[in-house]
This record gives sequence, C-alpha cells and structure tokens, in this order.
Amino acid sequence: MAGLSYAEIDRTVLDTLKPPTRTYWLIIALLFFGVLVGAACWTYQIFKGIGVAGMNHPVMWGTYLINFVFWIGIGHAGTLISAILYLFRAGWRTPVARAAETMTVFAVCIAGLFPFIHLGRVWVSFYIIPYPNQRTIWPNFQSPLVFDMCAITTYLTVSALFLYTGLIPDLATVRDRSEGLRKKVYTILSLGWTGAYEHWRHHARGYLFFAAIATPLVVSVHSVVSWDFALGIVPGWHSTIFAPYFVAGAIHSGLAMVLTLMIPLRKIFRYERFITINVLENVAKTIIFTGLIVGYAYIVEYFVAWYSNNTVEQESFQWRALGYYSWEFWVMVSFNAIVPLLFFLKKIRTSIPWLFVISVLINIGMWFERFVIIVGGVAHEFIPYSWGTYGPRWPEIGILIGSFCLFLFLFLLFVKHLPSVSITELKETIGEAKNHGR
Amino acid sequence: MKLKRRDFLKMVGLTGVTAVAGCSPDSTKKLIPYLIPAEDIVPGVATWYASTCRECPAGCGILAKNREGRVIKVEGNPLHPINQGRICMRGQAAVQGIYNPDRIKTPFLKEKDEWRILSYAEAEDLLRFRIKKAAAKGPNRIRMLTEVVGDPLLNLFARSLNQWDSTGPMVFEPFGYESLKAANEKVFGVKGLPSYHMEKADLLVSLGADFLETWLSPVEYARKFKEMHSFHDGKKGFFVYISPYQSLTGANADLWISCNPGSEAAIALGILREGLSYDDKVRLPYTMRESLKRVAYPFTKEKVIEISGIASNHYEKLVRVLMKSEKPLILGSGASASGITALQTEMAVLLLNLIRDPALRLYDFTNRHRIEIASRRAEIVAFFKSLENDPVDLLLLNNVNPVFSLPPGSGVEEALRKDSLFVVSFSNFMDETSKQANLIFPVSLPLETWDEYGGKQSILSTLQPAMGNLTDAPHLGDVLLRLSCDDKKSAQIFKEYLFAHLVEKKRINDKRDWTLALERGGIFESFFPEEQKGLSHSEKHLSQALTEVFSSSFLGEMFTPSTAALTFIAAPSIRFFDGRGANKPWLCEIPDPVSEVTWHTPVLINPKTIEGIRDGDLVRIESQWGRMDAPAYVTEGVRRGVAVMNIGQGHQAYGRYAERMGLNPFSLLSSKVTIDSGSPLFSVKLISLTRTSRSTALAHTDGSRTQQGRKIALSVLYKDLIGKEVSEKPGLTMKDFPFTLPLPAGYDRKRDFYPPHEHKEYRWVMVVDLDKCIGCSACTAACYAENNVGMVGIERIIQQREMSWLAVQRYHDEERKENLIFFPMLCQHCDNAPCESVCPVFAPNHSKEGINNQVYNRCIGTRFCSQNCPYKVRRFNWFDWKWPEPLNLQLNPDVTVRSKGVMEKCSFCIQRIKEAHQQAKKENRKIRDGEIQPACVQTCPAGVFTFGNLVVKESRVSKLIGDKRAYQAMGYLNTKPAVIYLKKVVQEI
Repeated sequence: MAGLSYAEIDRTVLDTLKPPTRTYWLIIALLFFGVLVGAACWTYQIFKGIGVAGMNHPVMWGTYLINFVFWIGIGHAGTLISAILYLFRAGWRTPVARAAETMTVFAVCIAGLFPFIHLGRVWVSFYIIPYPNQRTIWPNFQSPLVFDMCAITTYLTVSALFLYTGLIPDLATVRDRSEGLRKKVYTILSLGWTGAYEHWRHHARGYLFFAAIATPLVVSVHSVVSWDFALGIVPGWHSTIFAPYFVAGAIHSGLAMVLTLMIPLRKIFRYERFITINVLENVAKTIIFTGLIVGYAYIVEYFVAWYSNNTVEQESFQWRALGYYSWEFWVMVSFNAIVPLLFFLKKIRTSIPWLFVISVLINIGMWFERFVIIVGGVAHEFIPYSWGTYGPRWPEIGILIGSFCLFLFLFLLFVKHLPSVSITELKETIGEAKNHGR
Repeated sequence: MKLKRRDFLKMVGLTGVTAVAGCSPDSTKKLIPYLIPAEDIVPGVATWYASTCRECPAGCGILAKNREGRVIKVEGNPLHPINQGRICMRGQAAVQGIYNPDRIKTPFLKEKDEWRILSYAEAEDLLRFRIKKAAAKGPNRIRMLTEVVGDPLLNLFARSLNQWDSTGPMVFEPFGYESLKAANEKVFGVKGLPSYHMEKADLLVSLGADFLETWLSPVEYARKFKEMHSFHDGKKGFFVYISPYQSLTGANADLWISCNPGSEAAIALGILREGLSYDDKVRLPYTMRESLKRVAYPFTKEKVIEISGIASNHYEKLVRVLMKSEKPLILGSGASASGITALQTEMAVLLLNLIRDPALRLYDFTNRHRIEIASRRAEIVAFFKSLENDPVDLLLLNNVNPVFSLPPGSGVEEALRKDSLFVVSFSNFMDETSKQANLIFPVSLPLETWDEYGGKQSILSTLQPAMGNLTDAPHLGDVLLRLSCDDKKSAQIFKEYLFAHLVEKKRINDKRDWTLALERGGIFESFFPEEQKGLSHSEKHLSQALTEVFSSSFLGEMFTPSTAALTFIAAPSIRFFDGRGANKPWLCEIPDPVSEVTWHTPVLINPKTIEGIRDGDLVRIESQWGRMDAPAYVTEGVRRGVAVMNIGQGHQAYGRYAERMGLNPFSLLSSKVTIDSGSPLFSVKLISLTRTSRSTALAHTDGSRTQQGRKIALSVLYKDLIGKEVSEKPGLTMKDFPFTLPLPAGYDRKRDFYPPHEHKEYRWVMVVDLDKCIGCSACTAACYAENNVGMVGIERIIQQREMSWLAVQRYHDEERKENLIFFPMLCQHCDNAPCESVCPVFAPNHSKEGINNQVYNRCIGTRFCSQNCPYKVRRFNWFDWKWPEPLNLQLNPDVTVRSKGVMEKCSFCIQRIKEAHQQAKKENRKIRDGEIQPACVQTCPAGVFTFGNLVVKESRVSKLIGDKRAYQAMGYLNTKPAVIYLKKVVQEI
C-alpha cells in the first residue's frame, strides 16, 4: 500500500458514499423485487403447507437446509479474516476485512432465516427457545438443533458487535464530513467518538479482545452445524470427520465469496490501490489450503466407508459417486477440490478474470457439496424400500433467488452507506509501513 | 281462542329456542346426532353391531364399531366360523362405501339424456306404475339381475317376480366359478362349490386358484393356508403354485412353476398319468383306474413339458412330492387362468384329488360356498342377448355392473339402451351400468340394513343396521314388499319378512333365537361339518363324463401348437375384487402387494417379452376385441410372452376415485364363453404388444425391489432351522451384533452411553412372524381406518409422500427374482430411539411403557426425527389432507386428525392401550395378555402379529422372542427395537 496518503484514503472511501446514481437505485429496486418474490413463496408455503416444496419421504431436508449451511459457510470467512488473521497480524487482510465482516453478518442473518422457512409449523417455532413456562417443558438439549440455535445466535451477536466496534472510528470520520440529517444519523451511530487518546486506547484493546473471543466461534459454529448431520445415524452423515470437514468447507466457500464480492467492488469503487492484486493473491493462496483440506476430507470419507466394511455405508458412497446424484457429486469434487489447485499457478492466481471465475465455481461447488451431503445421504438410506430422490420445486427456487437478492440488497445498501473499507486500519498500515519499512 | 298457561309456556319456549337457534352465527354442530339418544349410545363409548360383510360373496362376519351414532370401523367377528375375527382390506374399506362422497342420495330419472332428481316416493310410484304396466302386458315382461344375495332376499325377489308373472332373478357375479361347478357336477354329481379343509393338508398344489386374493373365500383360506403352511412344531407344509404369472398367492408358494397359459389341463393330466403308475398309492377300483389311465394316456412327460413349457426337473419334483405326501390337496384354476380348457383342468384336478384320497377328506360338501348360486356366464350373456328380441319392458338391476365387467362385445350397453326397455338400477353409485339406466333408485347399503347372508350353506349370518341411515334410501326388500304385496296379511317390512322366512325355513324358532343371532352375528353351531354324505361318484356316471369332457376336440386343442405367442390375462385383484372396490380411496392408495403400485393399473410383463422395456414405458396392447396403452411394470413374476393386468380399475364412471383412474382389462377380452361349462375367458391371445415412445411415472411405493444385501427381511432354510444351533460370539459389527431386548437387560456399558429406560409394569412389544405374512395388506387398511391416516392421491404418491403407518414391504430375492418376501414395516418403538434424541422440542417421547409417542401438539416440523429414523416409518403431513364429506364421518374420534406441518407414525394404537388401561383400572387389575389388539393385529387373516407385555415372563410375546427365528430388523444399529421379527422359513421342494 505504498504511496497512499491519509487524504487519498479518506477521499477514495468517502467518495463511495456520495449520492448514488439512478442505476444503483434501479438495481436496488430489482433486488428488492427478488426479495419480495422469496417472501411471497414463503407466505404461500406457510398457507399451503411445506408440501409445496419438493421434499418428500425419505428426503425430508431439501434446499432450505442446503441454503442454511451454504450461507452459514459464507458467513465464516468474514470472521476468519477480521479476527483470526488480525490475531496473526496478516497485513493483507486489512483492505478486505470490513467488507468480509459485513458479508458475514448478512450471510448469517440470511442463514438464520432458513431453519424457519424449513419448519413445518413455523408459527410454533418458539418451542425451541428455552423460556420458562408453567408446564416446565424445556427444549431437548440433547438435540443438535438446540446446539445449533445457541451457536448461531451467539455467532450472529458476536460478529455483529465486532463489525460495529471496528466501524466506530470510521463512522466518526463520515460524521465529520457530512451535513444535515446524515450528520445526525452518523453522530448517533459513532457514539460520540472524538479520537481522543482514551478512545483509541479502549478501541484498540476492545477490538483485540473481540478478535480473541470471535476466533473460537469460527471453529465452533460450523462444527455445531456439522453435528446436525454427524449426530444423526444416516450413512454419509455419521462421521467424526464432519466438524473439521465442515469448518474447512465453510472457510473455503467464504473466501471464495470474498473474492466474488471484492473483485467487482474494487473495480466499481476504484479500490485498486487498497485491494491490490497482492491481497487477492493471498486470498487465493488460502483457498488452496482450504481446498486441499476439503479434498482430503472427500478422500477420507471414501476410505472410511471402505474400511468400515459396512455394506450400507459402502453402498451409500458408491451411489453418491455413480448413482442418481453423480452429476452433483462430480460438480462438487471438481469445483471444490480440483479447480482451486489451479491457484498453484501464479499466472492464474494473479489474473482477475481467473480469480473471479474460480471463486464463482467454488461457490457453486460448495452449494452442491451441501446438496450431496444432505440429500444424497438420506435418499439412499438403510431401508431400500424407502429409497427415493428429491428435486427442488418452484417455491424453493423462488426462496433461493430471494435469499441471494436479499444478500446483495443488503450488501449494496451497505457499500453506499457505510465505509466498505476500514479507513482507520488502512491509515494504520501507512504508519506501520513507515515505521517498519514495509 | 283460549290460550292455556301450559300452551303459552310451550309457545314461548319454542319461540325462544327458534330465535336463539336462528340467530346463532354458526349452524349448530351436533356431537351426537340424536335428539333423544338410544339407550346403548354413550358418548365416548363404542357400540359394536355384529353383521356380515358384503364386499364380496365370501360372507365374512363383521363387527361394526359405532361411535356417537356413526360407524367408524369394521372388524372381523371372532365368533364367525368363516373368518374368525379377521377381514381383508376390502372388508375394512366397506365404511368408505357408505361414506363415499359420490354416493347418490336421491333417485334419478333419465329424461332425454338428462338426470332429474326424484323423491323416493315419486320414484316408488313410478316403479309401481311401470311394474303394473309391464305385468299387465303378459308373462316375463319384468326381469331382474342381481348380485349374490342371501336366501331371504333372493326368495323375496323370486316371489315378487313370480307375482308379476315373470321368472326369477338371474344372479350375476363376474367371478362365477362355472368350470369348477361343472366339474363337481360331472365327477361327484354335486353342482356346487364345496369348501376345503386346507388346514389339514400337508401339500397344496394350485393351478392358478388365487385363494389368498379373491378365490371363493380369501380370508378363510388365508387362515387355513397359514395353518398348514406356517412353521410350527418343527413342521411346515408345502405349497406349489402353477400358473403363467405369479399372483400374490403364487408369491407365497414354496415353488412357483411358470407354465404356458392354457396348459394347466395338460399338466394336471400329465401328473395324473404319472400318479396312476404308482399302483400302491392309488386306492381306486380297478375299472375306474383303467378309465382314468385311458384319459391321461396321451399326456406323457415329454408332451406335457412341451405343451406347458415348464422345466422337467420341476415337473419331476412335483410328481414326486405329490405322490409322497400323505394328505395332498390340489386346487384348480382361478378365474384368471381359466382358458377354454378350464373345465378339463378342474376335472383333472378333481381326479388327481380322487386318486390320492378317494374319500376326499379335505373336501367339505356340506359347507358349500354361497357363490355357487351365481348363474353361469353363458346364461348371463344369453340373457342380455335375449333382451334384444324378447319383449321385456322392465329390467331391475340390483348392485351389478355388467357394463363394466363384461367384455365390450357382450352387447350389454346396447341391450340396456333399447328404448322399449325401462332399466332400474338399485345402486348407490353412478357407475357405468347406472349411467345406462332409466331410473337410479338408491337403496340402503349392507351396513345400514337388516338381512341375512350365509357365505356358506350351513351357517346363518345376519346383517343389522350398524347406524342410522345417512340418506333416505329405503331397503330394497321394503321397496319390493311394498310393490308386490297387496294383501295385508303378510309382512309389510323386510325385517318382519326376514324373520318369518327364517322361521319358516326352520333356521330359527322364535324371537329369542333371532335376538341371539343378531347379538352373535348369526347361528354358527351347525358349522362344524357332519359326516360326508351323499357323495357318490358312480363309475358309470364318471366314465361317461370323462369321454364327454376329454373329447378329441380337447386333445386337438391341447396338441395343436398355438400360433399366437402373446397372451393377455385379466387377473382378479385383491384390492378391487371385480372392480367394485375402485371407488374406495383406501383400496386405491394401498399398493398392490406384489407390484407395489397404487392408484393405476400397470401391465405386468417379463423383461424378455419386450427387450429393453422399463417400468412406466407405455405399451400398446392390442387384441381382436380392443386396444389400450398401458404403463409397463417389468417383472420376472410373469412368463415370457404373457401380459397380465389386474381387474378393477379403468372405470368410465363410478365416482371421483374410480373415474378414469387406471385401465380396464375387460375391454380387451372376448365376450365368448366356453362351450362345455359356459365360463368366461379371462385371457385372450394378443395381436400385438409393442412399446410406444411415451412413458409415464408409475405411482409405486418401493424404492428398491431388493434388500441390497442388507438383511432386513430375513429368512432361514428349513433344514438349517431344525438342524443344530450354532452359537456365535456376539460382537459390535453388522454381522455379529447380538439380540438386544428393549428392556434394561438389553443395555450394556460397552455399547450404550445413556442409561436404560425403566419399564415397571408394561413394556409393549410386537412380534411379527414373517413366515405367516402373506402380504395381503389388510393390516395397512385397518391402520388407515383406525388411525385417520391421510389419503394423498396419485400425484403425491409419485412424489413419495404416502402416509401409511404400516407398509407391507415386498422384497425380491437378489438372485432368484421370483422369490418374494413380505415384510410389515411399522414404527419399531425402539428403546434406544434415534428419533427421540434429535428432536429439539421432545415431540417424540419415550413413554414409561416403552412406546415411542409422537406428541403432535409439540411438533414444530423440523423433520429431523424422520431423517434419523433408520426404518423410515415416520410420515410427515406435507399438507392438510382432505376427507371430502361425508368421508370425514368415518374418522376415529379417539385419534387426532393431524394438521399440516407435523410428523406422525404408528402409535401401537395408543388409544386402544389407553382404553385397556381404563378398563383394567376400573376392575382393579393389570392388563391381561392379549387384551390389547392394535388394529393391524386384530385384522391380520394369517395371524402374523402378536402384541403384548414383555415385562411379564408368561406373556405370549415373552415366549415368542425365545424362538430361534427371532431377530430385530437392523438390530446392529443398537436401536433395540420393540418390534421383533421371526424369520421366514423357506424350504426347497
């Protein structure tokens, strides 16, 4: 980030907050329409019954839970980048941390919607909350779904607060440069930040501690999500490898999503000088690492199935690769484990088009990974008489589109109303560069 | 006008009530549909009325369960000798007849192709007018066609027709057993249908008689069959089935020998020839033996094998085992297999029985089946032909549907449409025949009427109204009495007529007998057979019959190689019988036991018949008489070159569940009848059988036809079972996992993380004997009826959303595809239930009696329980299921109707367990063994299920789990299931 001045950083970032163009609002309107489509599908489903979706006997979990795991996975990279890499002092994280964190919060919010969409009787979903009641009926703490609820609410709370903590100095910067109603809003949001020494001291400490608290959550949340499956006895689910496998997969998909979002962002907002090709390359390198873990997990699953000498397990995995869903399986394997290996080539990991295409492919591959695990497992379960297949139907597709629209809708609102790159942290890097000659 | 104080008060009261009633926003919903309830109606307590099932001519005894004035379920009458407390799925579905949403409530008169609603009085007046007019014209102007009915009603029909100067009614049944009757007459001089002591046989051979599905009296024979063919006391009888296709009956055989269609007679005669060569075994007079030898002479082994196409080792085995056995019973062909040589087949079978046991100890001629009164098909066809020329003015049809069940060439529709003929259909449904009628006159259905119908000669079996009438339809007997009786002396209502008739026939003596009979469902004492008497097979008579039947034309038929390679067979269906069940949604929804296909009618063909054919491909079937496109069901259970289709569906009318659903195989058949016995032909040579380019999704419920080597439905070889026991050291793998009781004793620190459940007094357990299961699915129907299980329809079955709590799974053997095993799968009520631990809200909950309860109110619909259930017995309510009115009146008030979004599953009929608890508590005792019978246990014709308390050592279930055959389905998952299976015993012949 050589040659950047404080003023340039301020200018570039604050430029992004200028009143948007008509195209922007048009896109926002389109996305909002997409959200409405999803909402309408859900409403229809609530009135008619969950049967309007494609789920059946035996595949009782379909795209809703695939989307849930997918979005939770996306929601992992943000905290990884902002917290873990912060603790590791990985300097390249700075320009992408803010956007990644925001992505996390939105993705987790959307992920949190899906279990509700999935429920047969969403109107009594509060039974799952451990609230005191005169019948003294509590939720079943043995159930992975209760762990899940706790894990996700914790993660959402912590990552939202972490995002906000980091935002405070930047909000003050925006406040200082705006007028009218805007100023009032940012004044409230910036919590009276003056840039006093005490403020900086508390902020820096607080941010560090938050990072330390958030770090285990990155690992725990997706481990807990994986237990939704691993604690079941379904062949293809019931495996001890699931927690690390899911965490690696989540980070894999999250990093890919960071690339998918950052590449257009740096182009549109002229962030090229902050989000340098070097930053993107580092993300790609991390993707190689996670991709290798994911690939290893795929192989181990097959090894264990063979080694178990269990006919059911073996048949299940054989069917996964060669059966009805073999197409989905090979999409998963090639997009998640093979395609990322291209990043070993410097040419590819420094080429913007390649980076973008591969990141999108990984996102697709990771969606199919969840499909293969969730649907493929139960479709060919213990009782051959009850074997069956599943395919999504229009309300599910509507809701899937709605969820993407909601995510982009929120993200686009964010980039035009809040600094999408951390001004404070970028400025810090200039100081560091000066001091340490980097 | 002077107003009295009392009158004033009455009027004020009445006005007040009217005002209140009139102003209330909702119409009043009556919990009990009685103003003054009858003495025997107590809200919440069921009343049982003994009656007789009229869903087929077998005449099983039933108990109709009445709750708050409505019949909600039908169960077998344990006192009744025919079915001994069991009924089939058609019997269970009888309630869907009375509550059918398409039931006609008023008479309809056809005026210029439009239906006009009449009142019952108008309809009766019209009928009276028509009868008077017709009777005045001359003799035989009024004719009647009826289904098989009881003696009193038949008598009334005859009397009424007689009064109108006409001959008695024709009795029409699509399955009339003409050939069997004719053979009995020729050999024994008895033109009737004896019953069989199948249970006493040690070998059973059937040349196509589907006695587990429709043949004569399926529930009775299912029971008797399993008495001889289930493993007990170290013994098990043999059963060989010889037919071109494997029906459900054939699927239960130890050996299914597939033969060329129409070759049954040759096989029987061939065996006769072989049998006669065993001189020491044949206990017949010399001359008779010689005449038999003459008949069988042309049927050498080589010839028989050539004609029938069966394997020579099968044939040799068959002869050997037949001559070796002590008490063999050979049955002839069923309706479907009868071709033009049906009579010869039946004759040869009788002769075979005769040479093995001249005394015919397994025949019971004193207890003949009521269906024998049915007219021959030849007579029926002739009757319709005669309508064209004879001056008949009025045709009365009682609950028959010849337009549907006679082949199109029979000319029934044309005959009915004749202008000069006024057709009255006493039917409750707008079926194909009613549509052609001029007047549809609904009459009360069997569950609403007084009647008598003895399915067998020696018993008296009563019918009584099990509830108030749902419509204003009168009893047919009452109508006829009113129409025919002008003198005031004789009975005016049918109930009185019935009583008088029975007294006259000396079946009962007085009112006391009558009341007793009603209470018990009939008089059965005479059931136990007397000595065989009056059975004469005079040699002269016999030899004459032999030359007549086994004529040269028969030999010519047998020995001329058939040119047409393809045969189409219309097979009677266990679900729809002759088609009368097609409007009952349960019967449509419950899959066919062999093909597992619901709602529609596939054509069963061998994969070799059309190369590369796949399930659901549309196949064009063309015979001389018709053509249709049917979805294929590819199976090894059909001989190459044979196409089989079940009878019953493909209605053009008959209500929403039947109309345009499936296909009607009758439409391909010839209207010809056999010359010698006058029986219909249920098979036809095909012109072509070709695959079209189209295909359709079959609504089947099975995901895989085989067990994929997973050892779910287990069987054991007979010789291994009686051999020495090999004890294996238990381990933790799939192969050596031990039997784990659903009791604390079944827990082991090495295997189990969580502590066991304590069951202090009761631990409910079910034992399922796979050796007895014939796959008939009566249990499934009973479960639908008892537990308000939703009916989802064909589209949702294709989407794999069927709701049945108990599915009889059918698995083919991996290597020998024709070997089938039936496996009733219901909730296993595991002691270590995978569903319980994953539910976030405790909706599945383990009760202290070991039952895995599903709390519907608590369920939020995560569906995790179903995902985690290895047995896949949990069903999810994808929608709110519909019970179109008045089908909803059948719903069991003791069981919640589940709304959309909740999971459900088998509860072991918890409502019945609770009822037993209340009773036991009232009487200050514990629940007795056998006191609780879940619906499936109650109805199973073969006695597969045993339900009881495992905590008590003396209970039947405790004893049964000690059986060598006991195992748990996928016990290696350590779920500790409370449903314990006994392996099927298979034996090589």
